[in-house]
Amino acid sequence: MSGLSKLSRKLDELYSGNVTFFVSEGILTLSGQVEKWDDLVSAGLLAAKYNRGLCIVNNIACKNAALTAMKMPLIQDALLEGEKPDVLVIGAGIVGCAVARELMRYDVSVLLIDKENDVAMHASSRNDGAVHPGIDLKKGQVKQTYNLRGNRMYDKVARELGVDFKRIGQYVCFNNSLLKTVYPIVKRKWEKVGVPSKFVSRSKMREIEPTLGRNTKWAVFFPTAGIVCPYQMTIAYAENAVDNGAKLSLETAVVDILHENGKIKAVVTNRGTLYPKVVVNCAGVFCEDIAKMAGDHFYSIHPRRGTNIITDKKAARKSLVTISSYGTVNKKVHSKGGGIMRTVDDNLLIGPDAFETNERENFETTRDSVSQTLLRQGETVPSLSSSDVITYFTGVRAATYEEDFVITNGKFIHNLVHAAGIQSPGVTAAPAIGEDVAKMAVNIIRNERIVKENESFNPVRIPIPKTSEMSEEALDGLIKEDPNYGVIICRCEQVSKGEILAALSRSVPANSVDGVKRRVRAGMGRCQGGFCGPQVGKIIAENKHIPLNKVIKSTSESYITVSETKGEG
Amino acid sequence: MQIKNFDVLVIGGGPAGLAAAISAEKNNASVLLLEREERLGGILKQCIHDGFGVVRFGKKMAGCEYAQVFINELRQTPVVAEVLSFVTKIEKTSEGGFYVTYSSKDGIQKVTANAIVLSTGCRERTAKQVQIHGTRPSGVLTAGAAQYYTNILGYLPGKNCVILGSGDIGLIMARRLTLEGATVLGVYEAKSTPSGLRRNISQCLDDFDIPLYCSKTVTRAFGSSRLTGVEVCSVDEQMNPIEETKEYIPCDTLILSVGLIPENEIAEGLGVEIDKRTKGPITDNHQMTSVNGVFVCGNAWQVSDLADYVSLSGERAGKYAAFYGGKKEATVCVDYEGSFLYMVPQKVTIDTVCEPTAFYFRSNKEMDKSKFTLKIDQKEVYTKIYSSLRPPEMQKIEIDFSKYSITPSTKIAFTLSEVIK
Repeated sequence: MSGLSKLSRKLDELYSGNVTFFVSEGILTLSGQVEKWDDLVSAGLLAAKYNRGLCIVNNIACKNAALTAMKMPLIQDALLEGEKPDVLVIGAGIVGCAVARELMRYDVSVLLIDKENDVAMHASSRNDGAVHPGIDLKKGQVKQTYNLRGNRMYDKVARELGVDFKRIGQYVCFNNSLLKTVYPIVKRKWEKVGVPSKFVSRSKMREIEPTLGRNTKWAVFFPTAGIVCPYQMTIAYAENAVDNGAKLSLETAVVDILHENGKIKAVVTNRGTLYPKVVVNCAGVFCEDIAKMAGDHFYSIHPRRGTNIITDKKAARKSLVTISSYGTVNKKVHSKGGGIMRTVDDNLLIGPDAFETNERENFETTRDSVSQTLLRQGETVPSLSSSDVITYFTGVRAATYEEDFVITNGKFIHNLVHAAGIQSPGVTAAPAIGEDVAKMAVNIIRNERIVKENESFNPVRIPIPKTSEMSEEALDGLIKEDPNYGVIICRCEQVSKGEILAALSRSVPANSVDGVKRRVRAGMGRCQGGFCGPQVGKIIAENKHIPLNKVIKSTSESYITVSETKGEG
Repeated sequence: MQIKNFDVLVIGGGPAGLAAAISAEKNNASVLLLEREERLGGILKQCIHDGFGVVRFGKKMAGCEYAQVFINELRQTPVVAEVLSFVTKIEKTSEGGFYVTYSSKDGIQKVTANAIVLSTGCRERTAKQVQIHGTRPSGVLTAGAAQYYTNILGYLPGKNCVILGSGDIGLIMARRLTLEGATVLGVYEAKSTPSGLRRNISQCLDDFDIPLYCSKTVTRAFGSSRLTGVEVCSVDEQMNPIEETKEYIPCDTLILSVGLIPENEIAEGLGVEIDKRTKGPITDNHQMTSVNGVFVCGNAWQVSDLADYVSLSGERAGKYAAFYGGKKEATVCVDYEGSFLYMVPQKVTIDTVCEPTAFYFRSNKEMDKSKFTLKIDQKEVYTKIYSSLRPPEMQKIEIDFSKYSITPSTKIAFTLSEVIK
C-alpha cells in the first residue's frame, strides 16, 4: 500500500471521515474539521509521516481553537508609503537580521521590518542560545545542513559582531549502560558529517560534574557545541546591518500583499504601501500568513511553546558544564528534551518543555510547567532547587509539520524567498541561513540588473563596553573618558550608567526598560530590577526627554508609572 | 601611586553603615565609608513615614529624618564618605588586611583596610520567587521599587493596586498609595497570620479601610502590556494554591512585599559562613563573621523590624572593627532550641565580661505566654516570660555573661517554649 493510501486509511480511522486531503503541485493539503487543537496537529504530523516528499499544508478547522490573530502594532501612519527597497525583509528575529546583514555585502537597498517595537521579541529572545553540534538531526534534512554549517561559522561571525560566544562543548548523559556498545558506530556516523565526539566514563563524568545524579552511567562529549546569547546575537546582526546602510522599521506589520502573475507587486503595512523588488519572509510563527497573503502557501506552521528556567549565577556552581540527559528526553514530542545549559553569562538555563498551542503570542508561564521541568532536570543535577530560580520565560517555536526548515525561493511567486519553519537549531543555523537567503534574494534582483558587491561593507560591529568584564586598566581609562562608566546602576550584574546610555544611542537603540536589559543586562540579576528598574526608567526619561510615565517596560503602552504624584492621572 | 590605608572600611551607607562608621571613628579608627548610591541614607531615604527612632531617641521620626541625624553626625567627624562608589573586588593581603578595589566617577580606586564592615542591606524577593506565573506586563513591582517611584521620583506606579504580602513595606505602601489617590483593592497574605507589625496593620490598613486577606495568594498575572488583572487563590496548609478557589481581580498594579533577603554577595565571595535561617552571616557578639576582620551589621546580618536595632548592630560592628587587632578571639557556639525562628548572634566571645551581650530572636509562630530560658552547662541560669510572641516582632534581650564563668568548653543554650496553661 502506498503512503498516501495508508494516510487516507489512518485519517479515516482517527477522524471518522472528518479529515480529508488532496495532492496538487507537490503539496498535500489537509482539510476538514476536528474538535481539539491536538487533533488538528496530529493530523498534520500524520500527513508528514506518510508522505513522499510532499509539502504539508494543514487547512483543517478546529471547533474549539484557531490560530490566534496577529497582535497588531497600534501605530497607523504613512512613514513608509511608496518606498521601493530592493529587498524587504519581514521579521527582525535572528534570521531576518542575519539576512539583512548579509544582504549589505551587496549593492542593494534593504528594508527590515518587524511588528514589535524592538528586534528579537519573539523566538529569538525566548530560547536557550545553544549552538548545537548537529548530532540529533536526520541526514538530508535542511536543518541538519544549516546546523553543521552555521556551527562552523560561529567563531568568526560572533567575533566580527562583538558578541560573546563560548564553544564550551556539551555532555549528553546516558542512564542506559547497554547503549554504550552502540556508541562506536554512531561516533563514526557523526564523524562523517564532521561532528567529533568523545566517550566519557561514569567516573570521569563525576569528576567533571561532582554534583551529577546517580542515574548517569556514561556520557558523550561534543566539543563543537557552544553557547551564545540569542538576543545579543540578533541585536548585533541588526546593528551591523543598519551600520552598513540597511533601514529598520519597527512597529511595522504586513497587512496585505498584492501579487500578480507570480510576482509580488506591493506590500501593504500599517505604515504605508511598499513596492519591493524582492520579499524575504522571516516572520517566524507568522510565516504561513505571509505565504498565504503572497499566494505562495505551501507549508503550515504549528506553534509549539516551551518554558525555560533561569537560575541565579550562584547556582551555576551546581552545574559546571552543559549537560542533557538522554533518559529525560520525551520521545513523543519534537524537542531535544532540554537540559541544563550554562549561559555565556554564567546563569543556568533549565528546560525547555514542549506543548502544541494555537496561541502564537501567548508567552505565559505556568506553575505546572516550571515545577515539572525542575523535577525532570533535578534527576540530572539533584542539588538544583526552586530557590535557585530567579525567573522563567516562555517561547513559541515556529515548527512545520515536516519539522524542517523551509529555506527556498517561492514555489509560485518568483520574487519571494522563504526562511520559514525556523525552530531549534535556528540560532545555530542563522549565520548560514543569512548567507544563503541573501544570495537567493540577490540572484532574483540579478535577473533585472547587475548587482555588485558592496565594497564599503564593514563586517565589524563594536559592542557596548562591558565594564564588568574589562581589565582594571581599560576600565579606568574608559571612566576617565566618560565618568558614567564608573557609576554602577545595576548592582547584581554590575552595569554602569555609561553602558545604559550607550544602549539608548546605538544604531538599533533600546527604547524600553527591557530593551536596555537585553542589551546590557541591567535588571537580569537576582533582584530582577528591584533596585535598578526605577533608575533605568529615570535614565531613559532623561535621555529621551519624556516624563517617567511615558517610559515603557517592553511593549508600547506598557508604561512603568501612571502619572506624577498629586498630578492628573 | 600611594595606596591609602584605613583601619576600617565600611561598605554601604545606610543606617547600619552610618552607625558603624561613626562608632569606628569614635574608637579612634581611620574610616572610609563607601556608598554605591548618589546619597547616604540607604533605603531610609525613601521612608518618609514615621515610626523610626522610638527606641533610640524616644520619639517618632520619619526614616529620612532618622538617617539625617547620623549623616549630620558623620559630617562632624573626619570619616571619609564616598558616594557613587561600588566595590568590585576584595582580596586578603598577606598582612591579614584587605586590598579593596572600587569604581567611582574618578576611575578605579584602590585602598587597603585592616578590617571591613559589611552593611550592604537586603533586597526584596521578586514575583518569580513566589511563583507568580502568567504574562510579564508592566505594573508588577516590589514594594521598595513602588516606594522609590512614589517618594523619590515623584511618580505614581499605579491606580488600582493589589498588594501581595503583609510585610511592613507592603503595608506602608498601601497607605502611601491611598494618600496619593490610588485605590488599594486589598492586601493578600499567603500565611495564616500577617507578616507586618501590629501598629502598621492598624495605622496603614484599618485606618484606611483596606481589606487584609490571609491564607490567600496571587498566582497569575494578566495583560500583555500593562497589568490588567491578577488571579488570587486560597492556599492549603502547605501554602499550595487551591485551584478551585481561584478568582480574578481586575487591577493595573501588583505590589509585592513578600520578604527580604540579606545581601551577602561580597561576604560570600570572601568565604563568610552563612546561616541558613537568617540568610545572613554567622557572627559572634562583636559582629565578626567566620572570616577574620570581616564584620557585618544591619539588614545584611539579619532582617530587622526596626531601624533602631540596625543602628545598634552597626555601632557594635564599627567598634569591634576598630578594635580588631588581626587575631580571632576564642568563641563558644550558642545553641537555640524550641520555637525560635532564629536567634543571633550565633557565637559568643569568651571575654564578654566587659559588656552585656545583645541577642535578637524571632519566634517561629504566634505564641501566647512563653518562657525564654538560658542554660549554662545545662543549668537554668536565667528565665524570662513573654506574654505573647509573633514572628514579625523581633525581640531583643541582653545577657550579662560576666556573671558566669565562660570557657571554650562551656555549653550555652537558649530555649523558647509556650507555657502550657
